[in-house]
Amino acid sequence: MNVGLGFSQLEDPILAANEAVGQALMELKKAPASLALIFTSVELAHPLTLRAANNLLGEIPILGCSSLGIMTNAGVFRHGFAVLVISLHEQTFFNVAAVKNIDRNNSLLSGKELGDKLLFGFKNIPRSLSIILSDKLITEGTRLINGLQESLGLSFPLIGAAASDNFENHKTYQYLNKEILSESCSGILFGGRFNFGFGIKHGWKALGKMRCVTASSGHVIQEIDGLPAVKLYEEYFAKNTRQLAKELRRISIYYPLGIYLPGEKEYLLRNIVSIREDGALVTQGDIPENSKIRLMISTEDSRLTAVVNACEEAKKNLGSQKAKFLLLFDSGARFFILGRQNDLELCVIKEVFGEKTPLIGIYTNGEQAPLKSINYLGKTYFHNQSIIIVAIGEQ
Amino acid sequence: MSLFTLFGIFALFIILGIILLYKNQRLKEFNDRIASLNLSLEEMDEQAKLIMRTDMELNKAQEELDKKISGLDTLQRLSREISTTLEEQQIFKKINNQYVEELGFERSLAFLWKNLEREFHLYLSIGYTHDESLQIKTAVNANRDYFLGLIKNGSAISSEILPEGNLSKNTFNQLFLVHSFIICPVLAQEGDQGFIFVGTQNTEASITKGDQEFISILANQIGQTLDNARLFEKTWRSQQELEIKVEERTRQLTQALEEVKKISKRKSDFISSVSHEIRTPLTSIKGYAAILLASKLGNLPDEIKSRLEKINRHSDELVHMVNDLLDISRIESGKVVIKKEPLDLKAVAEKIDDLFSEQFKTKNITFGSDIPDDCREVLADHSQIDRVFINLVGNAFKFTPENGRIGINARRTGKIIQIDIKDSGFGIPEDTQESIFEEFFRVDNTINQEVKGTGLGLALVKHIIEAHQGKIWVKSKVGEGSTFSFTLNAV
Repeated sequence: MNVGLGFSQLEDPILAANEAVGQALMELKKAPASLALIFTSVELAHPLTLRAANNLLGEIPILGCSSLGIMTNAGVFRHGFAVLVISLHEQTFFNVAAVKNIDRNNSLLSGKELGDKLLFGFKNIPRSLSIILSDKLITEGTRLINGLQESLGLSFPLIGAAASDNFENHKTYQYLNKEILSESCSGILFGGRFNFGFGIKHGWKALGKMRCVTASSGHVIQEIDGLPAVKLYEEYFAKNTRQLAKELRRISIYYPLGIYLPGEKEYLLRNIVSIREDGALVTQGDIPENSKIRLMISTEDSRLTAVVNACEEAKKNLGSQKAKFLLLFDSGARFFILGRQNDLELCVIKEVFGEKTPLIGIYTNGEQAPLKSINYLGKTYFHNQSIIIVAIGEQ
Repeated sequence: MSLFTLFGIFALFIILGIILLYKNQRLKEFNDRIASLNLSLEEMDEQAKLIMRTDMELNKAQEELDKKISGLDTLQRLSREISTTLEEQQIFKKINNQYVEELGFERSLAFLWKNLEREFHLYLSIGYTHDESLQIKTAVNANRDYFLGLIKNGSAISSEILPEGNLSKNTFNQLFLVHSFIICPVLAQEGDQGFIFVGTQNTEASITKGDQEFISILANQIGQTLDNARLFEKTWRSQQELEIKVEERTRQLTQALEEVKKISKRKSDFISSVSHEIRTPLTSIKGYAAILLASKLGNLPDEIKSRLEKINRHSDELVHMVNDLLDISRIESGKVVIKKEPLDLKAVAEKIDDLFSEQFKTKNITFGSDIPDDCREVLADHSQIDRVFINLVGNAFKFTPENGRIGINARRTGKIIQIDIKDSGFGIPEDTQESIFEEFFRVDNTINQEVKGTGLGLALVKHIIEAHQGKIWVKSKVGEGSTFSFTLNAV
């Protein structure tokens, strides 16, 4: 396996695509390109960009999405076009597909549709890993994953990320070959000879009493301990609903809800998206009724330690193999918290894997992955505020 | 039932009672413990609330501090970049989306009021599409009076602080397609003024006083840089105009010089041609005069003889003059090749002494020369330098009264030998000293009326010295004498 990484900050979409793809192909040398991962900032999510990339790459499959920020070995960038061109081993199989116009009320079916498309032609080839990139505006992300896993099965991990924009919640974009999609989910299924490891961590710790979700449906919590859900935040932060609504993004990012998972060290985080008039909390991802929840808190140190732990887990999974490249899905909330020090996490990752290991990543609006790489139990969860590190090894 | 049995039952009850009491005691203890744990839990939960609130305040403060540091850092970098710009259009191009984002905004515009066109021109647009920019420009010009008033007022406004009499926040939001904003006048001392706008669509962002201060600093910096750029432009234009003028004058002078050269060449050619034409008949005149004077055609009366002698003498003078003119013309046109060879100045001085000794005696003139050994040898054309000495010493002799002194001195400065020919003659008036080297120039005084000359000798000398890359000049005072000095290269 060979990889070539390219990045451009040029404002013109065609020039940016040309520059970045040119760099990547140069790095790839003469190895045949099998697949390209493309991540861009929102303003470069333009049909011309993909067309230019496609022309240079010679019709190979392309998968990608837009993001509020892009990570490469060179640093963290708010604007730009990044491409990773991969030359895969001939015994590595993959298939790319997308499901468009996801029905917000029945994303389970969309998940199944995507799964079926990804399985096309796979027959008896053992499946290894699936990666999906979805629209962040699909709040029913959990059901999409359930539908996908119903089709793909639970024998291998499913990792995903929700595309993001500039915190504006307007529109995000998913890329598949020459197409720029919205309200869609594009994905890839790897199989055959394919080695990888992944780690997912967040670094938030529980604080305060454990509570019980006494009434919820999907991603809406109506009651906690028999009281309107918003009371929990009102009580902890000594603010009324109106004041909370005004500062909701900050409070939600710094102090998300944590769902207790028996036997697990880390809680599953949920951001609060909005507060309803009846005091119900709308979260990003489902919270089942009777879930034990707690308010979560973190420090810079705990968050960075989580990044190191995620790296270590991904590395451990690869065993003695060296990572050929890294794929990073980092929560946009973490980007917001880091502010002007937004390259801190990247430095930590480079320290663990080495400065020269090619890496490409985006800031996401929701992450999907099993709880752990080792002792994988088949279930993929919808996460918030987490970092997923996927290390792809020699094939 | 025996007494023993009764006792046994009684003992059992007592034991059961004791156990019950013990159990009760234990239950009470457990309940107390649970109550105590609950209390601790509640207290810890209260502490957790305090921790959360404190942490939130700390995070807020940290964010605000980060924002300030980041803003200051951005301003400093942006100011440095802007201040080095001396082109009005380029100033706004330095402000890119990265800087705007670092200041906490994602949209920015800059307008300058153009007095001639009576409208606002858009100089910067970040975060807007081309169509949006045009739409905003139209809207700004539709509200030009308001924005001109804002510039005149000189104070910044923001979505948080909108003084009375302003457009409503909603109007601004619709006009600029943002949720929060700051507008700050760009007040240049000279030329067009305008305003800078920054805004964000983030509904949770709020404009702080610090934000407003940062944008005001940026607007001031832009204003100052605009002033500098305009001053530079003005200075540069003046310099350009000056350079054009100098170029024009130089061209005119070059043209005039070429014209002069052309005229001079024509003059030389004319003199050369006329001189040649004159010399032939002159030779004939002189020949015939000589034949007549030699009485080869019979004896002539004394009166005719004396007239013929005059014709002969004047013909000689004319031939001499024509030869000088031809020489000057040849040197000027470069036809004369100066053949530089080592020349012994002492020998030249002695030769001059020999040549003029008889004449010196007639006026009882003392002649002397002082040529130090280090000045003896110069590089020069023998025949030409002889003419220089003959001309200068001849002139000195002509203008030195009886019992006077004439001397030749030499001195060395590096590779240059300076030769002075000094006399104790009548001297040359100061106002004519510069002109005496011009052709046909003769000082207008009584002495010159008595002493004959063509006015070409010194001109010829000057041409010869200059052809040797030397210089010639005169120092003189009327009544005290003159010193003619010239330079030649040492061997």
